[in-house]
Amino acid sequence: MSDRPVIGQRLKEYQAREVERILGACTKCGKCYEVCPMAQYSKAPSQDSKATVAGVLAVLRGEQGTPEALGWIGVCTRSGVCVPACPENVDPKMMMRLARMTALGGRGRAKQIEVKEDRDYFDRVRAFAKLQLTDEELKDWT
Amino acid sequence: MSERVTFWYGCNVLRHGDIIHACLDILRAIGYEASPVGGPDYCCGTVRDANQMTAGGMATRTVGKLNDRGARVVAWCPSCHSHMHDFMEKGNDRHFDMTYLVDLLHANRQKLAPLLVHKVPMKVMLHRHIGFNELVPVNRMVPELLGMIPGVEVVDGGYTAPGYMCASFGALPKALEDIHANTLRAAKACGAEAVVTTFHQCYREIVGLDAARAIDVYNYIHLIARSMGLPYEDEYKAWKRAGDGATAMIGAERIAKVGIEFYERAVLPELKKRPNLR
Repeated sequence: MSDRPVIGQRLKEYQAREVERILGACTKCGKCYEVCPMAQYSKAPSQDSKATVAGVLAVLRGEQGTPEALGWIGVCTRSGVCVPACPENVDPKMMMRLARMTALGGRGRAKQIEVKEDRDYFDRVRAFAKLQLTDEELKDWT
Repeated sequence: MSERVTFWYGCNVLRHGDIIHACLDILRAIGYEASPVGGPDYCCGTVRDANQMTAGGMATRTVGKLNDRGARVVAWCPSCHSHMHDFMEKGNDRHFDMTYLVDLLHANRQKLAPLLVHKVPMKVMLHRHIGFNELVPVNRMVPELLGMIPGVEVVDGGYTAPGYMCASFGALPKALEDIHANTLRAAKACGAEAVVTTFHQCYREIVGLDAARAIDVYNYIHLIARSMGLPYEDEYKAWKRAGDGATAMIGAERIAKVGIEFYERAVLPELKKRPNLR
């Protein structure tokens, strides 16, 4: 066995610890959903904030999320107003971020939401750089 | 003796070479020996939420490269800055101090003030977001920086957009339409002549209002640079305004560097895109 650390292992462990912390701390009071300015844009808006949060926690546990939970996860753009609204200092912004990574299949679980992949993302960045920077700047700065 | 800093500008601001150049000149003018790094090879990994193995590898590579430079890092990109804070430094050993550009400029207001010599007569409204402000209070600091520019009057339209920056709304067109419409409505209501963004990700979207001739749009660095007499031209805005005409403005020689097929498929559509103003 190699002693070389696995790339990304510590990040993976940190995320796992955060998931455990959140699952242990959240009381599903629903305050984070109630104050979220993005909930209105969800594909499946919910009237039941507690159930929606419970669905998010299910995603974090690796279970299938409800349509309402996945709809909310899909529209989170890190406004962060949920953070001071949480009476348990759960950090719902982190909860949603980890839930999004999980639902996208990024943490080794089945993909539950689709994301539009921009296949040209980095090539477009490189293209604009070539249009605006000199060859020397491209070599030294990127 | 000036402090050596690494100016970590991120990826997408490479659309705005003028902003990168102006930031470097501003940093140097207030006493920092700034060397820039960025682009995909310095990506923070935040764009790879759907693949944490890849994101983790990108974070490790970038933290390592920044460690090797042995200097304080000044971040431009709010995504990179917050991703470092939330994830990158949790999974890697960060051996450098880090600050955000707005924070650094704000802390150096006394050095910056005498450099702002040219009048920029303009009534401006800051395009604000709710998020990120808890990490760096940009919604207070940027208006204070703008207020130092002779001729600039900062007005408040009372609107703060959700999210932490506009680019994350790419997959949420209705929400982005609302941001465009509410930003324009707020700017008109408070008599602003121009909307000013803090982040390049917002500038890229909101400059569509300028291209649609609804209102002038700038990034805050543009106005600081103009007041300092820095000569950089905002080519992205000129191309955006030109739409199809951008091809002639850019010219065949530059387009050949990226390839005409890629330019027409992946670059020109962005320049032609206009906001849906209801």
